[in-house]
Amino acid sequence: MKELEKTKRISIASVLFILVIIIGLLAYKRPKHLYSENTISTLEKISTNEYFVTLNDINTPDNVLVDIRNQFEYEKGHLENAINIYAPEILTDENSEIFEKLKTDNKTIILYGNTPSDVVSPYMILYQLGIDNIKILSSEITYFENNLISKDVAIEKYQNDVNAFIQESIKKAAIEVKPKPDIVKTPKKIIPIKKKKKMPVEGGC
Amino acid sequence: MVNRKLAKLSKFRYAVLAAILLILSAGLVLLPKYEKHEGINPEELLSNAISPERYITSDQLANRIINQDPSLLLIDVRTAEHYNNYSLLNAINIPLKNLLDEESKAYLYQDAYDIVLYSNDNFYADQAWVLCNRLEYKNLYVLKGGINNWFNTIINPPKPTENMPAEDFELFSNRKAASMFFGVAYPEQAKKKPVEVKKVIPKKIIPVKKKKKMPVEGGC
Repeated sequence: MKELEKTKRISIASVLFILVIIIGLLAYKRPKHLYSENTISTLEKISTNEYFVTLNDINTPDNVLVDIRNQFEYEKGHLENAINIYAPEILTDENSEIFEKLKTDNKTIILYGNTPSDVVSPYMILYQLGIDNIKILSSEITYFENNLISKDVAIEKYQNDVNAFIQESIKKAAIEVKPKPDIVKTPKKIIPIKKKKKMPVEGGC
Repeated sequence: MVNRKLAKLSKFRYAVLAAILLILSAGLVLLPKYEKHEGINPEELLSNAISPERYITSDQLANRIINQDPSLLLIDVRTAEHYNNYSLLNAINIPLKNLLDEESKAYLYQDAYDIVLYSNDNFYADQAWVLCNRLEYKNLYVLKGGINNWFNTIINPPKPTENMPAEDFELFSNRKAASMFFGVAYPEQAKKKPVEVKKVIPKKIIPVKKKKKMPVEGGC
């Protein structure tokens, strides 16, 4: 017993230590969402152009269209067989489950919005979270007489050659640099001199 | 009896405790690696990325460039080819694929400047923004619509039609003035200079009333 008392402190200390660790482990809550891609690998991915899909390629059974617009716009009109997951809600439990399920089913998730630019943020976040079977539909949605029209657009196309436009404008201006100096003519006022009417000589002395 | 048993157990107690501690330390090695989990958490990133706060319109940007805002830093994330063709005033070219290089970090990771990222549209600039935001780079903005929108609003502003409100005409004249600042020449701009209207003050002619000669009536 005496021997035990001597070494009590060591035992108590180590037991406490172990207890703290066990409590720590039990209290540890795994964050719901963890990145599985770091920024460098993500950058490599987005530097390729493999993640774009055109309208012609979406109608295979392996594809699942996801509309990231809000519910109102989704109900106004959406592509065939698309499901609606509003962009700010992609990380809710429900939707995470959907994405995980699609991933395990080996489906390709195709995100689309009004323009491809709208899809960038959800795409980037989902990709970094490890959902790598995800693509962007490179098309734009417009409405014509309440009918939804989607057409393919080129991503990041340099639409107008700005430099050429500026040079052109300078050239144009240079040609007309010598405008006819239009002197403002002040019309001379002509004062008609009234000629003295010669009066007929009337009598005399 | 109990005492003996306890004594027996206490013989091994150090060994047992040591074993438990060893197991726990081994557990530390096996803990999942969080290397990949750099930057802010995904929920925060999402809420940042969804908010349109990062966008700066072409008019705002033009205004800041013309006023020579010293805290403005423009970064072109397009390829060098596009950058050489046309870039905004004093912009720095960091192609998207070099975004996370060491040299780029010197430009992006600071808080002295407001950095405006731009590309042809805002697609690539947004991607760059999301990556930088995850790494907690501060003061980053994205030019809404990119160079294409810049061209359509500032460089070549559409002329308002007659039935548009007065603000549109004001906006148009502002944009037109801005486009002149950015090098666009207009034919009428060249014309304007030589025309200096000399005002010729017309001499006032005071008509002198002539005495009406009375018809000579009779004589003496």
